[in-house]
Amino acid sequence: MQSNNGYYGEFGGSYIPEILYSSQQQILHAFEEAKNDPAFIAELKDTWQNYSGRPTPLTFCKNLTDYFGGAQIYLKREDLNQSGAHKMNNVIGQALLVKRMGKKRVIAETGAGQHGVATALIAARLGLECTIYMGAKDVKRQYPNVFWMKQLGATVVPVAEGAQTLRDALDEALRDWSSSHEDSHYLIGTTCGCAPFPEMVAYFQSVIGEEVKEQSQAQFGQYPDRLYACVGGGSNACGLFLPFLEEKEVEMIGVEAGGKGLELGQHSIRLSNGLGQKGIAQGFATMFLQDANGQLQETHSIAAGLDYVGVSPIIAHLAQEGRIQMTYAMDDEVVAACSLLLKKEGIIPALESSHALAGAFKDAPNLPKESRIVINLSGRGDKDIFNVAKAMNDATFPEFLEDYMADYKEHLNNEGEA
Amino acid sequence: MSQLAQYIAEKRQQKPILSMTHVVYGYPSVQESLDWMATLLEAGADFIEVQFPFSDPVADGPTIVAACHGALHDQSLTVEQCLTDIGQLGRDYPQARIALMSYLNPMYRYGLEKLVKRCAEENIQGLILPDLPYEQAADLRTYCEANGVDPVWLVTPVTPKDRLAFLAKEATGFLYCVARSGVTGNSNHNGGDQQSLDEYLAEINSHTSAPIGVGFGIREKAHVDALKGKADVAIIGSALLDAYNKGGKEEGLKLFNNLFNS
Ligand SMILES: Cc1ncc(COP(=O)(O)O)c(C=O)c1O
Repeated sequence: MQSNNGYYGEFGGSYIPEILYSSQQQILHAFEEAKNDPAFIAELKDTWQNYSGRPTPLTFCKNLTDYFGGAQIYLKREDLNQSGAHKMNNVIGQALLVKRMGKKRVIAETGAGQHGVATALIAARLGLECTIYMGAKDVKRQYPNVFWMKQLGATVVPVAEGAQTLRDALDEALRDWSSSHEDSHYLIGTTCGCAPFPEMVAYFQSVIGEEVKEQSQAQFGQYPDRLYACVGGGSNACGLFLPFLEEKEVEMIGVEAGGKGLELGQHSIRLSNGLGQKGIAQGFATMFLQDANGQLQETHSIAAGLDYVGVSPIIAHLAQEGRIQMTYAMDDEVVAACSLLLKKEGIIPALESSHALAGAFKDAPNLPKESRIVINLSGRGDKDIFNVAKAMNDATFPEFLEDYMADYKEHLNNEGEA
Repeated sequence: MSQLAQYIAEKRQQKPILSMTHVVYGYPSVQESLDWMATLLEAGADFIEVQFPFSDPVADGPTIVAACHGALHDQSLTVEQCLTDIGQLGRDYPQARIALMSYLNPMYRYGLEKLVKRCAEENIQGLILPDLPYEQAADLRTYCEANGVDPVWLVTPVTPKDRLAFLAKEATGFLYCVARSGVTGNSNHNGGDQQSLDEYLAEINSHTSAPIGVGFGIREKAHVDALKGKADVAIIGSALLDAYNKGGKEEGLKLFNNLFNS
């Protein structure tokens, strides 16, 4: 979606410290040029295809459709990307742009570690130095991803400031960029931040919706009636929705994280129920969760990737215009939706994506049998094994962990003696 | 001429360089921060740059970030109370000036027009918002002009030459020259080699008639002395806070006196 000088209605813009002005302008111009350069687009498509496995399938879910007895349910399989999430579409695009700008290092923020891993993967492949900022609390909660980032050669910096989560990691990445802008690119992971990041990330993610257009025509001869996506920062939602923006009969539903409840601090609902308010922070204007004095607040979701205080200015604008309907799903509904997909279709969804499932499953029984819905399965759930086991109260998991620990310690002892 | 520029020009008749000391409002508590400001004013500080804390201060380094988070930890700070408190401070020390620094969001929530009006009422003549670039500040500029408050623009060693010239021309109260890349204070986010500070300041001076303040990384007497004859105000933030954290007002004052009164 083309912005109006960086703005989408009243949201977006570029509110950054003066020190970043030149780098921001450089990205703006490099992106404009790259978009119009057939060689860049060819390399982008080639990397998407031969490194990340695009196009991803559009999978019809017969069992779920029969189960709900309403709309015909399709999944867009972003879980089948390299790295297991749609994050890859964006990091490939930006990393190729980094090469084009002649920079040698990338900085990224990460919450759950999905964007961090995706960035570390592409950095390894393209020979870029890579520093990942991650809240100290998230480093502890998501250690397996930290492990892989390090193995991939990235430097992972735990951020001990503030609430020690994604918001603080983003602040710290901006601080790094303030000093390293000459040779480093800030590779933001979602459709947030100062212009042109929202527009650029949405551009790279729009491959999702473009493919759905072709695939839906090929599979059932028309566009879907409704699209569902979870909304953290908004990148997988932008990716699926934006190519359909002009197709007025296609409805779009964004699903936020309801977390544990609607009190401040228990959820990440920025766009429904009047819970978020307009603010300007972290480089852009959008709806933020904040208190009456304009201090940003802590958020919660069982899915770390949705646990963010702001949201894409593009989504905020389209929600305000009524083009996108916003809803939310609670932690327990999300686990139930995840479980249902496992059992009915043999697909393991990420907890983030399970929000989109939960939102769609609520509507599906009430939609006409001939209608078709596409749910963006933004990522696979392997990474959530610990959280899902806990949420499902799996009794044998702790036993496994204890045995594993005992074995690991013995191994370390033996290594020490050898 | 702007009130602030006039104040600086007059004071510069007596001193080769003026001092702007930075204090985080509400850190460690509101009363202690106000006491610390008063102490600095007693010692002859020409300006206090009062930072109203924000949860996400992206242009600041670890020392100031920790103070902002500390200030917000278990008290609720309001812009209104801050303006009232520092307005009183300004009346208690009429020979000095107070500038307000914060990030955009708390000010935006309070209301930019109301903010500028209240600043004028409390005789707070300068407003520093590092995440509000000139281009995005049309409304604020209008309010400031109407109320005789100066918005303070920042320039940096990597600001493109034409932009630097433009911002320097637009500067009224004073122009805030960031001395180096990176964020405030000592951190691993400090930029490396740059065109020499002298050259940079000479370039700025050639474009502006407004006074020049220099900040970011000023920690020692030599840094302050090096600015004499090239700038009007030395802005000292993290170094002062580091000293304060180490040994309270006494240690902070020692540094201030060393930098400006020795
Ligand atoms: C699988 C998955 N889906 C969704 C998200 C949310 O991000 P966005 O709203 O930008 O798509 C994340 C973020 O980490 C993710 O890993």
